[in-house]
Amino acid sequence: MMDDDKMNHGLDGFFDAARKTAPAPSAELLARVLDDAQATQAAAGQVAMASAVVTPRPTRLRQLVDLLGGWPAMAGLATAGVAGLWLGISPPAALTGLSLAGFGEADPLLVSMISGDELDLLALEEG
Amino acid sequence: MPLDALDDLPDDTVLTLFANGDASAARVLTLRFTPRVLAHAYRLLGDRDEAEDVAQEAMMRLWRIAPEWRQGEAKVTTWLYRVVANLCADRLRRRRGVALDSVPEPVDDAPGADDELMRQARADALQQALDALPARQRQAVVLRHIEGFSNPDIAEIMEIGVEAVESLTARGKRALAAALAGRREELGFGDDG
Repeated sequence: MMDDDKMNHGLDGFFDAARKTAPAPSAELLARVLDDAQATQAAAGQVAMASAVVTPRPTRLRQLVDLLGGWPAMAGLATAGVAGLWLGISPPAALTGLSLAGFGEADPLLVSMISGDELDLLALEEG
Repeated sequence: MPLDALDDLPDDTVLTLFANGDASAARVLTLRFTPRVLAHAYRLLGDRDEAEDVAQEAMMRLWRIAPEWRQGEAKVTTWLYRVVANLCADRLRRRRGVALDSVPEPVDDAPGADDELMRQARADALQQALDALPARQRQAVVLRHIEGFSNPDIAEIMEIGVEAVESLTARGKRALAAALAGRREELGFGDDG
């Protein structure tokens, strides 16, 4: 050992004898230990196979949810949908006025995407 | 994987292979650790049959922990020796109150010139003296002077500081020296040690 024998109170001879006479495992003990090892591996293998069988295939809903970014994204979409529906059914007065402000006052239900002058020009160009 | 290919791999790598179902890894770990675990248990317990039970149980715990083992975080040997020490401590606690007549008799007939017998007689005498030590002193002395661990490794196994390890080994050796002083001559040691 690292300490000299005097530091070890003359015990080095005893320690050396102990190291050289270490009890060796019997063949039976080694067999028992190896049996335990193989049984543990077999059990772990069965659990892995069982979990692979039990794991269900993803449903169409699950695939759709995953496609959209998972349940957090679905929650955002649902909130936006409900809010839109609510605004459609019962729009606040302030919102109604705001929506018509940019489209003139003559006919609030008619919205022209192209002005009348531009339509005339288009007709001239096409002959 | 062939046995030879695994022989040189680190302990934790082989343990990971075992967890992945490698049959050769099971054999390599069994042969690599069972002798050490048995020897350590025997030195802590002084009883071969009990040591075999402890060795099998310690190895069983190794098999069970294998899937959760994280490479590089701890030494397999350190963990295993700690398990052995805990299992031995449980058995020693259960043994308390056992009558002295159950302790093996000292070896009276010192073998003569036969080296092998003399070596065994010395080892037996040391084991009897170890058995009489407080459990923590015995564990520290065995790990340091028979198993050959460093003090920092022993500190990790015993979950104490390095100074505490040094104190335990020093006190243990003094007690062993006192216990064996009267038997040195019969065991072939001269007065000079």
